[in-house]
Amino acid sequence: MSDLNLDPTQLDRYSRHIIMDDVGPEGQKALLDADVLVLGAGGLGSPIVQYLAAAGVGRLGIADDDVVERSNLQRQIVHADADVGRPKVESAAEFVAELNPDVTVDAHETRVTADNVDELLADYDFVVDGSDNFETRFLVNDACTLAGVPFTHGAIYRFEGQITSFTEGQPCYRCLFPEAPPAGEIPDCSEAGVLGVLPGTVGCIQATETVKWILQDAGLAPEADTLDGRMIFYDAMAMTFEDVPVQPDPDCPVCGDDPAISSVQDVEYVETCAIGAD
Amino acid sequence: MHLECRFFATYRAIVGQKSLDREFPDGATVAEVLSTLETAYPDLEAQLLDEDGTIRPQLSILKNGRDVTHMEGGETPLEDGDSLSVFPPVAGGASGVR
Repeated sequence: MSDLNLDPTQLDRYSRHIIMDDVGPEGQKALLDADVLVLGAGGLGSPIVQYLAAAGVGRLGIADDDVVERSNLQRQIVHADADVGRPKVESAAEFVAELNPDVTVDAHETRVTADNVDELLADYDFVVDGSDNFETRFLVNDACTLAGVPFTHGAIYRFEGQITSFTEGQPCYRCLFPEAPPAGEIPDCSEAGVLGVLPGTVGCIQATETVKWILQDAGLAPEADTLDGRMIFYDAMAMTFEDVPVQPDPDCPVCGDDPAISSVQDVEYVETCAIGAD
Repeated sequence: MHLECRFFATYRAIVGQKSLDREFPDGATVAEVLSTLETAYPDLEAQLLDEDGTIRPQLSILKNGRDVTHMEGGETPLEDGDSLSVFPPVAGGASGVR
């Protein structure tokens, strides 16, 4: 273990990882060397940030432009009552600093847009999408797919969750949903409500996908099967998980045989996120 | 023929239930079944099919758990006992600020 540069404190902190063959000191070193961007520090982002920080993911980018509201605290467990009114990235970064000094946080207090997404992604190995609107979700899909950056997607609605992962050469989100629903057709959490613990389950699955991807990228956990090419539908009310295959769509505007989108600048990320009229 | 129609997210609220078992004419296609559902549930009107009768690009339709896009789309034939799932994308991340 000595050649992997884990100090005695780290050997203790991560001992339950290190004793597993699928992680070991090599896997823990890979986690400590990983650069992961988490989009959203809300309901999904909270457990994602908490578990990735606890796992020792060495560098966590957290992007969010919101401030903490009291109505967030029913599910956004990275924030506390005293954080109401503070920027979420600030509150989340503080949580991480108190949890694990091995983790460096890049706090991006910004909304992810077509103008900054490529620059944001460039610094990270893996992206975790816990955003809260269709515009960002389609933007993240398009930017990650075009740049070849793997990402995991989680989304929630009342008692239901959808989780999948995408890597280069595999189907993308637009293979499943070519366009976003028009504004207002699918209510968001503030309109429809959401079970507080739901994003915990979904976010934990996304964090699991992230850790597995990092281990696999380091040549470990050979039997790990990620959610590439399939989507999980989680129904918290029925307590069921369904697995739906996601197949590449030859007509996909991003990753199909003759894609119409070659840059995020080709798309107007408003309403249905369709390709620009011109 | 007898089909199980399953609904997710917003469609559950519109239909008022997660699934329904219903008789359809033998040999009905996916688009024909969706059109029948739109008629049976007025709030579903124009929610499943575009004006030209094709499946809207904002949702996915699964026949027995597989996306009909990779079969014959709306023309995909259905058989007795098939399951047809209707699901939209959802975007929530539980920020709830906007």
